Amino acid sequence: MDKAKFNAKGLLRNQQVILLVVLFAMAAFFTSQNSIFLTNAVFGNIISDWVPLVLIAIGETFVIISGGIDLSVGSAVGLSGIIAAFSMRYFTAHNMTDNLSLTLGLLISIGIGAVVGLVNGFLITKANMVPFVSTLVTLGAARGLCIVLTAGGPIADGPSNAIDLSVPKVGPFSYPGVAVLGLVIILGLFMHKARFGRYTFAIGSNAFAARSAGINVNRHLVKIYALSGALAGIAGMYFYLRLGVGSPTSGQSGELNAIAAVVIGGASLSGGVGKLLGTALGSLILVTVTSGLIIIGVAANWNQVVVAILIAAAVFSQGIRTLGKKNK
Amino acid sequence: MTSQTPIYEARNISKSYGSVDALVGVNLKIHAGEVVGLVGDNGAGKSTLVKCLSGAHQPTSGQMLLDGKEVEWKTPHEAIEAGIETLYQESGLAPDLSVSSNVFLGREELVKGPLGRLGFLAQKSMDKKAHEDLERVGIAVPASNRAVSQLSGGQRQAVAIGRAVSWASKIIILDEPTNHLGARQAGEVLNIIERVKSEGFGVIFISHTLPHVLQVTDRVAVLRLGRLVADKPTSEFNSETLLGTITGLIGE
Repeated sequence: MDKAKFNAKGLLRNQQVILLVVLFAMAAFFTSQNSIFLTNAVFGNIISDWVPLVLIAIGETFVIISGGIDLSVGSAVGLSGIIAAFSMRYFTAHNMTDNLSLTLGLLISIGIGAVVGLVNGFLITKANMVPFVSTLVTLGAARGLCIVLTAGGPIADGPSNAIDLSVPKVGPFSYPGVAVLGLVIILGLFMHKARFGRYTFAIGSNAFAARSAGINVNRHLVKIYALSGALAGIAGMYFYLRLGVGSPTSGQSGELNAIAAVVIGGASLSGGVGKLLGTALGSLILVTVTSGLIIIGVAANWNQVVVAILIAAAVFSQGIRTLGKKNK
Repeated sequence: MTSQTPIYEARNISKSYGSVDALVGVNLKIHAGEVVGLVGDNGAGKSTLVKCLSGAHQPTSGQMLLDGKEVEWKTPHEAIEAGIETLYQESGLAPDLSVSSNVFLGREELVKGPLGRLGFLAQKSMDKKAHEDLERVGIAVPASNRAVSQLSGGQRQAVAIGRAVSWASKIIILDEPTNHLGARQAGEVLNIIERVKSEGFGVIFISHTLPHVLQVTDRVAVLRLGRLVADKPTSEFNSETLLGTITGLIGE
């Protein structure tokens, strides 16, 4: 690494540093408008919003770095959550202990999410459909199934202690939240320090080069979409814990928030470039804006406008920095 | 040199695509430490022959021998495993990855122990080895952890060749390696080819740029309309006779 990078100009060229600055500036602004922002209750709420978003945004980061896009993550959240809810209702009705029931629910939720991802991977690599279309198909199919299976209503009567798990216990983090934080770190290492991530970057950077280097590109793409789906499955279970029921609308438009988080985090939609830390911070900024605007009393619909401005600003600043690099 | 067993040999190779005969009974020998130029007009069959030699396509008939033993490639990967590296015209580098990541792409070194089994990379070791491997063939790249996209065209081509050299054990096939390069950069690439040759590799050099062919090769094989029309030491050609042989004005 270049030691000379640690000067002020260099720091501003670092997307993660900019994101941190933006995050602190927002927190300071919201606190100045309404001091209640700086409380554990608000932070707990922000983190509770962040956990499911960062899960699908990380899956989306792998997909986008590989040069693809996954529009189905939001629907995968919904479908995995309600299938898990149905299963846990069945387990509870058959006198299974809450903990075992929740564990199996989690595994089922991950499994359903992974199946959605595998279908994406199959459509992309075997049916030669572009990722946008493949995942648009599964977006519709999975969300449609959610409504059909539930008739639009929530699926209750699961383990009674489910909702307790979503309560903050470690600072603003609930226990599942801590587990997800650990998972984020592990996935970051897999992205930036392990072969799995290296192949992901290589495929997004030049698929021909990856293929001629002997990498099984199709198999790796299937794994990436399956990972994205599995992470959506965990998010589906997390929504279940938070609501105490399986809701057919959980994760709705989550794919757009995930893509927004990835883009704000500095990944390139043309593939080959991105950082997991960027996505983690990008998603944190999104949920902070949402909570902050509510707390300072701005009408909820302004949220979308602010997010849109953030996306534009992130992409614009990337353009400036890339230009600076080329001129050097 | 010619009395030795060729390191790689194609015997009577033919390849048809439907009713089109792309190659008809072509013979080619490459010895260790020899650069063989492969030239011919567009559609002469150069690409088809390269694809057969690199395992991308299977010949319709004929034999291929590596170190005197008959071989058959079902995939390019099998040829790579056997020590034959091919540098295609289309870039074989991932621009967003670092030099060393490209050199080691598909063959990453993993750390020892359980983390290695999870796929964790021995990046420092790869950075160091990539640097050494590139230096061995005279490639000076500023830092092997630099992204390839920050290198010049000539440096990129040098890294691509360096990558091939560090993995090939026998044969390196270079398809138009001096294309799109300026004179100085092309000169650097030709120097690298000299170094590669002196390391004992057999090199197949495909090019339209005849002065480069005359400068760097030991022998030239000329293809025309899918047939081998000449295979002679480079010293027996000059640019006029080589061009004449390619176009068919000489030698019919």
